[in-house]
Amino acid sequence: MEQDSQLIQQCLRGDGSAWERLVSQHARRIYNLCYRFTGSSAEAEDLSQEVFLRIYRTLESYRAGQGAFTTWMTSVARNLLIDHYRKTRYQRMTDSLEDAMPVVESKESSARRPDRHAMLGELSRQVQVALQRVSPDLREAVILRDLQGLDYREIQKVLQAPEGTVKSRINRGRIELAKVLSQMGVRAD
Amino acid sequence: MSWTCEQVEARLSEYLDGLLTPPERSDLEAHARDCVQCAPMLSSVAGLVRSLHDMEPLEEPPLLVAHILDRTLGPRQARRSWRWIFGWFDWLRQPRLAYGAACVALTLAAVLPALGFSWRAPRLRDLNPVNMYRAADRRTHLLYARGSKFVSDLRVVYEIQTRLRPETAIPAEPESAPSNGIKPRAPAGSSETPGPGPARQQNRVNQFPPSPVVIASILPGAGERSLP
Repeated sequence: MEQDSQLIQQCLRGDGSAWERLVSQHARRIYNLCYRFTGSSAEAEDLSQEVFLRIYRTLESYRAGQGAFTTWMTSVARNLLIDHYRKTRYQRMTDSLEDAMPVVESKESSARRPDRHAMLGELSRQVQVALQRVSPDLREAVILRDLQGLDYREIQKVLQAPEGTVKSRINRGRIELAKVLSQMGVRAD
Repeated sequence: MSWTCEQVEARLSEYLDGLLTPPERSDLEAHARDCVQCAPMLSSVAGLVRSLHDMEPLEEPPLLVAHILDRTLGPRQARRSWRWIFGWFDWLRQPRLAYGAACVALTLAAVLPALGFSWRAPRLRDLNPVNMYRAADRRTHLLYARGSKFVSDLRVVYEIQTRLRPETAIPAEPESAPSNGIKPRAPAGSSETPGPGPARQQNRVNQFPPSPVVIASILPGAGERSLP
């Protein structure tokens, strides 16, 4: 975190190489967040660029005392993701029926791959499909908690929601995701 | 206090994240042990959380960082260094490509000299396809001529040896043999070859080297051989 603070100070002084290091350190995290939320690598790449563009423009507004840089950055990304979701809602409704097809294929193929790495890769794809069937509120809570590894307090800051709401969303999101995976015939354990 | 299924479901994640107090934890576990609905749900969600935590983060696209920097810092031609220039050649580092390139280099190293190209004094005109063709043609003919000459020479030597070797020479000339002064040629390896001559005759043959005249008389074409 200290390293982030130093890099941010250097960025604010106009040091381009500090910004480059900051982007390199956090690009994967932001890309994963965008990908898990949207389910599309192309959209995730575009959104990741937008996130960093917004971070670059609003870096002066970051206050280290308010929380970790990663939390602030995740909050910026989450706001963009929600905006993006609202803009593309209609398109997603029309696409939702088509999502059902690859699930059966992935179930078949997972049975043929005995090694754990391949199984985790297959499970990752299935979780991705299942995540798209969970409501955005619950989805983002599960992504932030279980895939981004934020704690409850950080998630409260990102979602700007009270503790009870965050706990409830994480809990309902997990249960919902487990049910969807179960309906898909996937055993997560 | 015994928990209800609704309570267990509502606080399942707090249990999995270790946020319950020890008594609450015990109560939840006690209910889940006996409940046919809550036990599979607890197992399923716990497995899901474990799997999500085990998942490796996906790799970002290779040019994502470059695109972000381009959009934030602007096009970075001035900041491009030799690493950026040679970054385009990263694909050359694949082993399969390296083996292929090595094979091509070895082939060129072997073939180009045969086509008249000199590595010590390289000239551009040596790479002209017409010149390369002529050089290859000349070298091919030269090689063929040398080969032919070598085979002919071997044949002459073999014939001479066959003639002068006592065991292959004809010891007793029959009366009816042709009188042109040349003994009939015995086929090499023939079973009709007579046995070795007397020791005196063998010594006399070894004393004198074969004369060119004799060779020419044995092989009419031997004296006329030359390169084509």
